Amino acid sequence: MNVKQLAEELGIDSLTPEVVVDESRQVPGGYTSDLLSDVLAHAPHDGVLVTVQIHLNVVAVAAHAGLAGVIFAMGLRPDEATRQKAVEEGIALYATQEPAFDIVGRLYALGLRGTQA
Amino acid sequence: MKHFAADLHIHTALSPCAADEMTPGAIVHAARDAGLDMIAICDHNTAGNAEAVQQAARDDLAVIAGIEITTVEEVHVLGLFPDADAAAAAGDAVRQTLPSANGSHKDFGHQWLMDPEGRVLGTEAKMLSVASGFALSDAVRLIRQHGGLAVASHIGRPAFSVLSQLGMLPKNTRFDAIEISATGLRAGRQAEFAALGLPMVTSSDSHFLADVGCRRTMLESLLATFDELSLAFKGVDRRRCCLA
Repeated sequence: MNVKQLAEELGIDSLTPEVVVDESRQVPGGYTSDLLSDVLAHAPHDGVLVTVQIHLNVVAVAAHAGLAGVIFAMGLRPDEATRQKAVEEGIALYATQEPAFDIVGRLYALGLRGTQA
Repeated sequence: MKHFAADLHIHTALSPCAADEMTPGAIVHAARDAGLDMIAICDHNTAGNAEAVQQAARDDLAVIAGIEITTVEEVHVLGLFPDADAAAAAGDAVRQTLPSANGSHKDFGHQWLMDPEGRVLGTEAKMLSVASGFALSDAVRLIRQHGGLAVASHIGRPAFSVLSQLGMLPKNTRFDAIEISATGLRAGRQAEFAALGLPMVTSSDSHFLADVGCRRTMLESLLATFDELSLAFKGVDRRRCCLA
């Protein structure tokens, strides 16, 4: 599945409708962490990140790690500057009221797996 | 140009994680014993004991009133201020965003407000050991609004530093200096952090008396004052800071 299909399956809000998702780009897995140094070190390329960290750097880190998308849990939403930066970088941002734990569980049920430690 | 030994990050007994022995008089005594010319008092999310330490010191030790703010992102950032009133004003703004302490001292430690003689005046009613409501960029803005200098705390520590929490220095936030941690020094990361292009200091981050001055910064300036420290961070007229 690509990141757009995943978001549709989860029923979560897209914050970046301007981003044109490459529909052939399959999401191999994901990572969840709120420490961006940890995300940089461990998130899988083309994966999705589930986090409550809404600082602007989340986009820089997602770009550096080659992530396809970021899902903000617990109803948190980044500010407009962060959203604009994601649009420029072509990274899809999503928001959900659900806790990260639940979203990760649903991603797992959809077949996504974490990276091997 | 003169050389001054500075330890710009010391906690008092007001910080829940600091020892009760960190009284104003004891800190001043320890700083003098360690041969320091300048210290900064930076308690977690408060400047409530800074003025008491200033009053406990006499003319031979410069005491800068500071604060160590925990941001929403759980980044620690030091604010160093020109005087105790400025530190207190910034501290009040931070304090308003903290939850009530509510018996948290049982798990986190006591939060003693003290007079210059070390007598307990009371306990802080807000919980100091948690994140404030200030995002990093807002915390730095608050520090500047009160004429302060913003220093990224203990870079190289695997927790609570701007790099551990945010992966890299944020482009929208400008620090006046970075503080390299003990872990960063041990790992030999000085050159890596120097490449960030900011003045670098190191400090004891003392929570116990025995640690005061164990890491220090050499301030090359005309006087051991806040204004001269500020000029040294900017590198004005050959003033500078270096790791001692």
